[in-house]
Amino acid sequence: MSTYKTLITDVLVVGAGLAGERVAVEAASHGLDVIILSLVPPRRSHSTAAQGGMQASLGNCAMGEGDNPDVHFADTVKGSDWGCDQDVARLFVETAPLAVREMAIWGVPWNRVVAGKRTLPDGRVIEEKKEKEGLITARDFGGTAKWRTCYTADGTGHTLQYTMDSMVIKMGITVHDRTEAISLIHDGEQCTGVVARCLRTGDLRVYIAKSTVICTGGYGRLYSASTNAVINEGSGMFIALNTGVVPLGNMEAVQFHPTGMVPVWILITEGARGDGGYLLDKNLYRFMPDYEPKKKELASRDVVSRRMIQHMRKGYGVDSPYGPHLWLDIRHLGAKHINTNLREIANIARNFAGIDPVKDLIPVRPTQHYSMGGVRTNIDGAAYGLKGLFAAGEAACWDLHGFNRLGGNSLAETITAGRIIGKKVAEYTLGATLSYNYELVDKAVKEQENRIKALVNGWNGKENVYELRKLMEQNLMDYVGIFRNGKDLQKAVDNLRELYHRSLKIGLRSNGEGANPELAQALRLPGMIKLALCISYGALMRTESRGSHAREDYPKRDDANWLKRTLAYWPEGADLPELKYEPVKITELPPGDRGYGESSAESQGGKNG
Amino acid sequence: MADRELTFEIFRYNPQKPEVKPYLQTYKLKETTGMTIFVALNQIREEQDPSLMFDFVCRAAICGSCAMVINGRPRLACKTLTKTLPARIKLFPLPVFKLIGDLSVDTGTWFRHMSLKTEAWVHTSKTFDPKAQEERMDNETALKIYEAERCIECGCCIAGCATANIRDEFLGAAGINRVARFMLDPRDERTPAEYFEVVGSEEGAFGCMGLMACDDNCPMELPLQMQLAFVRRKMASIGIGYKPGKGIKLA
Amino acid sequence: MLLQRTLSKSNKTDLYLDLVELASGLLLVGFLWTHMLFVATILISQETFNGLSEFLDKYYLSYIGIPFIIVVALFHFVIAGRRIPTRIQEQRIVWRHAKMLRHTDTWTWVFQAITGMAILVLASIHVWMVVTGWPIRDFTSAQRMESFWWFYLILLIVGEYHAGFGLYRQFVKWGWFPRKPIGYITKVITAIILVLGLAAMFVFVQLGGAL
Repeated sequence: MSTYKTLITDVLVVGAGLAGERVAVEAASHGLDVIILSLVPPRRSHSTAAQGGMQASLGNCAMGEGDNPDVHFADTVKGSDWGCDQDVARLFVETAPLAVREMAIWGVPWNRVVAGKRTLPDGRVIEEKKEKEGLITARDFGGTAKWRTCYTADGTGHTLQYTMDSMVIKMGITVHDRTEAISLIHDGEQCTGVVARCLRTGDLRVYIAKSTVICTGGYGRLYSASTNAVINEGSGMFIALNTGVVPLGNMEAVQFHPTGMVPVWILITEGARGDGGYLLDKNLYRFMPDYEPKKKELASRDVVSRRMIQHMRKGYGVDSPYGPHLWLDIRHLGAKHINTNLREIANIARNFAGIDPVKDLIPVRPTQHYSMGGVRTNIDGAAYGLKGLFAAGEAACWDLHGFNRLGGNSLAETITAGRIIGKKVAEYTLGATLSYNYELVDKAVKEQENRIKALVNGWNGKENVYELRKLMEQNLMDYVGIFRNGKDLQKAVDNLRELYHRSLKIGLRSNGEGANPELAQALRLPGMIKLALCISYGALMRTESRGSHAREDYPKRDDANWLKRTLAYWPEGADLPELKYEPVKITELPPGDRGYGESSAESQGGKNG
Repeated sequence: MADRELTFEIFRYNPQKPEVKPYLQTYKLKETTGMTIFVALNQIREEQDPSLMFDFVCRAAICGSCAMVINGRPRLACKTLTKTLPARIKLFPLPVFKLIGDLSVDTGTWFRHMSLKTEAWVHTSKTFDPKAQEERMDNETALKIYEAERCIECGCCIAGCATANIRDEFLGAAGINRVARFMLDPRDERTPAEYFEVVGSEEGAFGCMGLMACDDNCPMELPLQMQLAFVRRKMASIGIGYKPGKGIKLA
Repeated sequence: MLLQRTLSKSNKTDLYLDLVELASGLLLVGFLWTHMLFVATILISQETFNGLSEFLDKYYLSYIGIPFIIVVALFHFVIAGRRIPTRIQEQRIVWRHAKMLRHTDTWTWVFQAITGMAILVLASIHVWMVVTGWPIRDFTSAQRMESFWWFYLILLIVGEYHAGFGLYRQFVKWGWFPRKPIGYITKVITAIILVLGLAAMFVFVQLGGAL
């Protein structure tokens, strides 16, 4: 009989980023007892890295005039390439302005409208109205009809997270940081909490809860070149997948950001292009207007990323030891603008590449950035397959983003979904009673204990966790990148399948004592490879191009056959996900032309690149 | 520049195994172009010693996780390029914070405690009205608040501060800067007297001895000297003009 | 909330201590620099020096000034000294910290604490010597300088160091001016005073042989 600490609460939130904390705040304000688990202190969450801003149709600034939820809705649905759930998108666009204003009361220092005329970098003169002065302003972002992205200088995610965490602290919500949920406790119908490992001591703990909410963010770190923080390994998604009954939605929908800085893959925010930055090729030629005459550098992310790859494949990339790349040019914006409005970008270039963007060009290339897929939930955030399990934010496939997320909709999703789903979680929890089977809990802990013992003692084999991980990253990067084709995807699936089997034979090289980092990685890796398989297998099966999923062998969107969402299940003992499909809900806006990009409109296809 | 062989001397200690005394362990590594301490430490963990503990999250100087003492100075490991350092690199965990193991320290708990002590949230009697337009704010004010809010809680200022090294209760530059952030915020309804309660003592503004290791070591280059001085002047003027009520005698 | 803290709310002691440290420090710097300027009158002529000293005696300025400065200095010592760690372990922490950090302003503070202690001892001896050898005239000073030039050399350097960096630190703490220029200005003034002091010493030592 093993000894472990058991904690009981009403609502257990796994992940303390913006979505998680927003859910927690909402649940706690309904009088519920909440515990948040987090890999790191909440203010270190990856949410803080979102610099650009969040979309909400306040319509206060001159270039946002006439904006309303309908316009935002259309942008979101088009952006998603009709892959999103339109009920969810509608709910989201209606709630986003409230969420922004609420954050203002709680303390976010949103940038405000300053009345008067000013000249934009492209020469247009705009005038901010006197009667709007002091209201929350917005900036331009890719893929939107209006200026709608609310921001605080270059640290929107930072200020949002700090403000949200200040509410968590104010409300006295318990946070157990440096704690990792490693499996869900469930009986196939009801989720009753998690088994967690303390990353300070290595001890296992059990958290029993009426409802469990997964808000662990994305899985960017499955790819070797990702803008994501190193903690973004999709842990919440694979513990849900491991149940065998909870599906992950649209895992093949992976967004690449056009401008990850070579070679550290740190994100250069859309703000750089929004404020008037150009993309140049090796001849210092601005090529985007040739491909996207209307939107130029500001077409949606998937389009810009693909155009960049396309242009590099034509031989216009700049050669470097890290592969070909392109240039981001913001020099013409001037030192003052760069050092104030784009300070974070300037700092990144200076500190991590030794480049001064006032004088130099920034080397960039498309880099994995966002996971549209995740734990599939309904509009209330309730996960498919298990009662008492919810998910929100990037970890979820609520399905706001479909096959491509708009810039600025991710931050907006965190607090908007957190607000909506938090309320639903609270309603559910208030009506739920706590009942759990002790044997079930004990069995769940034992299972993890045995896994750990096997890893530490090398009972199953001596595979090196870091080696396997590198192979997984490389396979995804090489074969499941921006442009995909059946041959490569098949290769990825085969390789990853083999890696999955090898990952079951990992043995530690260190002693695994206490908060051993190798053990933590070894516990995660099989789950990560499962996610990698969901991505590549889902991509292989989806024989069309939609949003960020661009098949060279199927370059067109195929609404007749593929207006549906992939659901990946992982049956016990399997080495491949089982894919099911469900129709995408279209309520207001029938599939049509996005007005940019190639897969839905007649233009140069991806294949000729 | 390239082709250097770097020698890392890294502090090793696991508080859970106090019988093994702290020691320095040496690792050798070939330098590559653009190598940061982040790259180097991960390489050491993956290729030489998988038990080595350290913290990284964003690796882009945004999250504040990876502060450590690099050749004597508290810095962010992710934005320290090895080419700026000599071939011998000594790494220690930050002082002041509770040691978790090797280079990993518990800054999270310290900062949460600080936030609780300074009540670092907007104190307002207003409640959110979903139908109302937001309250207006001058953009300059918003930017000023943001300037103080840019702190990433990495702990470099605390680790560098001699006072914080010996006085557990001292809020340090991060704490005082945090209070300044709320003092600048018109939405916070706290009275001067209430702020005086929070930082008008040796634990706060008057505990600073002006050594400015905070100002000199802040990776975000926050204007900490000016923020500390701003709070100190403010506290002095509040304190001088303010009369506390009569006290209760204990016996 | 703790009982003892609730009842001692809005305790302004720390503020007052800080202000007294500031005020006494400023007074002492003012005194020291004036003192050195007065001493340096020997560079003009012996008559000027004696005349100034007689003037101060005549209007009892010395008799009020000296005890007053002694009281201020003692206050300053006790109050500024509260910053100095009392426990050996704390002192070791600070010492190791300064060695690790290699940070100029931290080291200057460590020396500030050391020079403060030194001044307490050295200045007491100086006052005792002056008072027992009263009045202050060119020949009494010259005698002292000639016999104890090494003592005065140390006191001069230690005193000016402490005053210069003390003033700099107060400006830094209260933020009336930006740090870099104020550091430069205090260093320049300290250098000037040091040069004056050294020159005066040189003259006195020369005189000591002659008188």
